[in-house]
Amino acid sequence: MPTLTYLEAIRQGIWEEMERDPTVFCIGEDIGVYGGAFKVTDGFIDRFGPGRVIDTPIAESAIVGAAFGASLTGMRPVAEFQFMDFIGCAFNQITNMVAKAHYRWGAPAPLVIRGPSGGNVHGGPFHSQNPEMYFVHTPGLKVVCPATAYDAKGLIKASIRDNNPVIFFEHKYLYRRIKEEVPAEDYIVPLGKARVVRAGRDLSIISYAAMIHVALEAAELLSKEGIEIEVLDLRTVSPLDREAIAETVRRTNKVLILHEHARTGGIAGEISAIINEEAFDSLDGPIVRLTSLDSPVPFSPPQEEYFLPQLSDVVREARKLLAY
Amino acid sequence: MPKKTKPKARSHSNHRGSRTSRPAAPAVSSQRTYTILDYRLERPHIELRQVRDGDSVRYQVSGDLSAPVPPIRDSKYLSPQQCIEIYRWMLLNRKMEAALENLYKQGKVVGGVYFGLGQEGCSCASAYALKPDEWLGPLIRNQGSLLVRGFSPRDIMMQYMARAGSPTKGRDASSHFGDIQNRNVVAPISTLGDLIPVLAGVALGARLQGKNIAVMTYIGDGGQSTGVTYEGLNFAAVQNLGLVLFVENNLWGYSTPADMQFRVEDLAERAIAYGIPGVIVDGTDPCQVYDAAHEACERARRGEGPTLIEAKMMRMKGHAIHDAAEYVPKPLFDFWRKRDPMARFENYLVNVKKWLSREENEKLIAGVDSQLEADREFAVASPMPTPESAVGGTYCEPGCHEIKPKYAMPTFAERKAPVAHRAESAVHLK
Repeated sequence: MPTLTYLEAIRQGIWEEMERDPTVFCIGEDIGVYGGAFKVTDGFIDRFGPGRVIDTPIAESAIVGAAFGASLTGMRPVAEFQFMDFIGCAFNQITNMVAKAHYRWGAPAPLVIRGPSGGNVHGGPFHSQNPEMYFVHTPGLKVVCPATAYDAKGLIKASIRDNNPVIFFEHKYLYRRIKEEVPAEDYIVPLGKARVVRAGRDLSIISYAAMIHVALEAAELLSKEGIEIEVLDLRTVSPLDREAIAETVRRTNKVLILHEHARTGGIAGEISAIINEEAFDSLDGPIVRLTSLDSPVPFSPPQEEYFLPQLSDVVREARKLLAY
Repeated sequence: MPKKTKPKARSHSNHRGSRTSRPAAPAVSSQRTYTILDYRLERPHIELRQVRDGDSVRYQVSGDLSAPVPPIRDSKYLSPQQCIEIYRWMLLNRKMEAALENLYKQGKVVGGVYFGLGQEGCSCASAYALKPDEWLGPLIRNQGSLLVRGFSPRDIMMQYMARAGSPTKGRDASSHFGDIQNRNVVAPISTLGDLIPVLAGVALGARLQGKNIAVMTYIGDGGQSTGVTYEGLNFAAVQNLGLVLFVENNLWGYSTPADMQFRVEDLAERAIAYGIPGVIVDGTDPCQVYDAAHEACERARRGEGPTLIEAKMMRMKGHAIHDAAEYVPKPLFDFWRKRDPMARFENYLVNVKKWLSREENEKLIAGVDSQLEADREFAVASPMPTPESAVGGTYCEPGCHEIKPKYAMPTFAERKAPVAHRAESAVHLK
């Protein structure tokens, strides 16, 4: 099996879908001749031509609107946002035009909006955000946030094949940092299914995207003390895998929820409520939230490090919870 | 009888002289000129400004309000039979809205009612220029366009009464519905301008499937102020997509007059800045509306890109039924009431052209009345949705829709896959 980076896995996934299905096309800013700001669509225009790899004006509402319009004719557009921080520019198209279409008038919108999100790259307030919660809160959308190269390829392919609008957040910190063996053949990772990436019995860490790797490091570190931590990767943040969340709580009885977006109104609150509804009797301690600060993402490295949850924070909070 | 005149091509620099102070012309003139095709037979200059009147501020109208009413311009393309068909759609549009007003007064409507009074010629004659396999995205006042696309008055009545049998099954109101299977109509949302990139995308989808089609949508003098209007039309222009954009300048955006929405004399001038053709028509003249729409659609079908058509008219009611439009100066209503599209087109067909005898006209009117009465009865008798029907359909579940290309499976030339070789970028973000 070839070894691919997270970025190469996404690139290969989209490429394979375009080879497989002529209704799939890409649209976005600088994605053609330039190959995209992060080179996810590098070489696409040479292979698939300018008809299927469309460079657009800097106009995010037009990108989403045009993708939606094309999807109404049976196409499967993959729209790139140069940075997911800019998704606010298309907020109305996504939340009012696209997300409500099937409920209101029975129009499926099989489109993918994808792009880099996330911090720890010193990108400052406008190149580091995790804006997924706006869309988790909007019925009609699916929100996908892969943590590994294998999942990234399988999830982007499943997203393209889905008949609903999917917002696909690629964590830019992971783009070239992580590698793994990824099958060259066709496979998908189903949307809405979480995965236990490390099994354990003492405490569960529920997380996704780049924070999964922080959780795994903490689990490795604590395992040297004989503590067995289970790490659950949500993979899809909307719809949430309620059953997988409840099951991990039933196994370990203690939960730490870790995410990179701001604390207030974050997914940890929602997961806490699900645990309350599904597995309250299994809890042997308070549900702990470990998140970024309720502030914009700061630019300067020492500030950003303080802003983001760190390995030491996870280890400290896990020990506290284990001692409860 | 009106003389058949060629539409006037107006040249102007992109200035509004009366309002803009311009630098003195250089010794060697380097001003460029642009052309806007103007089909109108009159060019009223009316201005509205806010004036203090005792303790309150109101709108005052100025201009030549006593100008004679222009005739209907003979169409270059429409046959007498087609004119009569458009007239019937307009009549159905107007009388349906009168029926909606009555349903509202009887307390049967949930929420408000929006009217296209005075705009029926624009809605119906524009939509009439599209072919069945082409697409339309209506605004709230384009209920006539929906009728022309094949929806029935009962669909619209049930929408307003929030009935189970409405096209959205009670889930949305008014003209907020569509159909991707047969009628090719995109449902609008309440915010303005958002249909423009969507219709451009429909044309893009068709083109990827090997077919250049015309797609039509509308924006008002108020709605054109939004950013997405620019994004959508500019995208269509850059991609050369067959968008026909009607800018329905009905002089009022809710309570704000057009003079407070933009500085240009004519909104068609915007076309110059997009690099696309701009046309002006009298929105109360269905023949002008059709001719401009037809020419724009033909251009779209030839793959030559979008057209902006400004249709000038006036919204003859308030924003919605709750709004008595007391802010509109009465003389302005009087001016435009004389330019009523229904009365003038009826007179044109019955008295000027004599394409429709009085008896045939009466029969046509009676046919519209009985259709509306049957639809009204059907709609009123139809049930409300069950409470539980609020659930479901938020997502397209497996089996509920088959996604397949509307026109043809796209085909693409086979090319060898190049080796990815380009330098990394955005690597400073690490």
